[in-house]
Formats: sequence, C-alpha cells, structure tokens
Amino acid sequence: MELEDIFFSTSEYVQTHTGNKVSRQSTLCGSQNIILNGKNIIMGESMIRGDLANVRMGQYCILSKQSVIRPPFKKFAKGVAFFPLHVGDHVFIGENSVVNAAVVGSYVYIGKNCVIGRRCILKDCCMIADNTVLPPETVVSPFTVYSGSPGHCIEELPEAMQDLMIDYTKSFYQHYIPDKDASGVNQLSIASRK
Amino acid sequence: MQDLKRLKAKIANGAIVCCECELQGDITIGSRTVIHPRAKIIALLGPIIIGENNIIEEQVQIINNGEDAMVIGNNNVFEVDCRVESKKIGDNNIVESKAFVGRQTSLSNGCVIGAKCEVLVHETLQEGSLFYGSGPDVKRRVQSDKPSAQGAQIEFLSKVLPNYHRIRKPLV
Repeated sequence: MELEDIFFSTSEYVQTHTGNKVSRQSTLCGSQNIILNGKNIIMGESMIRGDLANVRMGQYCILSKQSVIRPPFKKFAKGVAFFPLHVGDHVFIGENSVVNAAVVGSYVYIGKNCVIGRRCILKDCCMIADNTVLPPETVVSPFTVYSGSPGHCIEELPEAMQDLMIDYTKSFYQHYIPDKDASGVNQLSIASRK
Repeated sequence: MQDLKRLKAKIANGAIVCCECELQGDITIGSRTVIHPRAKIIALLGPIIIGENNIIEEQVQIINNGEDAMVIGNNNVFEVDCRVESKKIGDNNIVESKAFVGRQTSLSNGCVIGAKCEVLVHETLQEGSLFYGSGPDVKRRVQSDKPSAQGAQIEFLSKVLPNYHRIRKPLV
C-alpha cells in the first residue's frame, strides 16, 4: 500500500541541507528559536511561533497547510512566560490544526481542524482524531485515540502504532517530491526500457 | 469606497500591532492592545473600533460586513483562528480557538465562547454566558466568575514581540 506521489513546485519550497522541506508561504516567526531536526515538511500557510518561546521538532515531522504551532503560556510564581514546545519524531499534524500543547511526543498523529488546548501533554504513540478539541492541560496517554469536544478517549491503538507512524511519515516524506524531479525520473525510465 | 482602502488604521500609543497583520479599512485600536502577526481585521463598509488591553492572536478574522460601526471593548482575548463578525463586544470576553460569532450576536461582559463553537443567535448574550461543545450541540450556561485579566501576558508580549517583528508605528 504505497502512498501516491505528492508534487510541489520547486519555487514554492526551500530544501535545507538537513532535508527539511519548508514552504515559502509558511510563517516561521523567530526562526532562530526553531530547531527542525531534519527531514521535516512544513507545508502551505502554516505558522510556527518561535518568537514566543523555543520550538524544537524531531525528525520526519509533517506540518500540513494552515496549521499553527504555538508555545503555551504559563504563569510562574515570579511572573509569566511562554513554555518551550518540544515535538517528537515522526509526528503528523493535519491541516488547519492549532497546537498549543506543552509537549507532543513521538509517533503522534494529529488530525485535521483540531484544537489542542494550552499546556496539553500528548504522550508518544497517541492519535487525535479530526475535529477534536482538547481542553487545556489534558494529558493524552500513549496508544489512545482521542476524539470529540471535549476530547475523550474513544479507543485504543495497537502496539504497532510506532511502526505505523514511522512507515507513514517516512514514505510521506519520500513521496513528497518536487515537480522537476518527477518528470526527470519518467524520462530516464522510458529511455532505459528502450 | 476607494477612500476606505487608503485609510490608515489609527493606532494608539502603546498598542503592539505587528506589521504582518492585515488591517483594511477604518480601524481604531486602543492602547496596550496586542495584535499578533497574520491576524486579519477587515472593515469592509463600516469602521471597527477596538478598545484597550485586547489580545488578538494569529489567524483571527475580525470582519465588519455592515455599515454601522463595530465596537470591541477592553480586555478581550481572541484566540487563534477565531472569526468574529459581531457588531458589539463588551469587556473581558474570551473567544476561543476556531470559534465563530455571527453578526446578530452581541457579547456583553465576561462571556466565553468555547473552542470551535458557532454562535449565531440573534441576541445580546447575558453577562457571563458560556458556550461549549461543538457542531450541532453547542450548549450554553451562565458562569458567575469573570475570566481572568491578561495584563501579565500583554506585558510579556509587549516586550517580546518587538524583538522579532516590525511593529506599526502609532498613528493617532
């Protein structure tokens, strides 16, 4: 069950030497505070608010169109600050989602149009269904699926979730190819067959 | 009509309005209001008057479709990606992420519109009313506590945002 190739125009994306594919239409505020560990895809009109606090994303993370990653706000005894946001490896964040979480673990799937409330903690290998609203400070246990508004655990995930997410994000990254390369590959294969 | 597009927003001293936000039409912004980048405030026909100490986060759309003025009071919080078309909003309200407040609704003081709620009722909401749930079953109740003031966050943002964004100059 191979994923289909998704093409993007080379003029729209910037490819870094660590393999990150970042759309030019996305907004990365405070880029000096954003660490993308490699092979991430930042699509469309998404936003990462690095100006509020540090944002660190692991490898093979996919941030779909118009989603917002934003560090949450915390009142400490001595004052207030925005909490740094850590996102693990192999995380897929769907279109239009708003992620205000404090920690997102690895191998997490976040669906479309979700609202992840302030200071939520999403542990590894969990899944947030489409259109979910997680109230502030929810802790999502590993291997669970949360859905609804307010989000509740509706089912459990198999132990293979980690391998599934690794497969999914890796093949998504490999199939997310620029327009020019795709036509080049086809011509080569036709020539070799002759 | 063309004059409206050339009008510059009147920004009071002390308001932090990032250059990357979209301001269209006749807009007045009070002092100590923070407008994050990528917010859209569009006064198509009538003016929009925003009070003091508000926080308008990114991807928020505040749109005035009608000809009469849209008035937003003080100390309100508009969280990420909400959409507000209401004609009158009082003080101390919170409109959470991805909520939608229609033209016919007016918020009084201390109301909370929960995340992803669409409020289209033809009325002025009672003080402290709270909408929660999503989709077709949006429920409402009245709360007696007032939402907490965001003064500390506004102070923090006023110090941090100018370091990373160009801020529109105040124009009274």
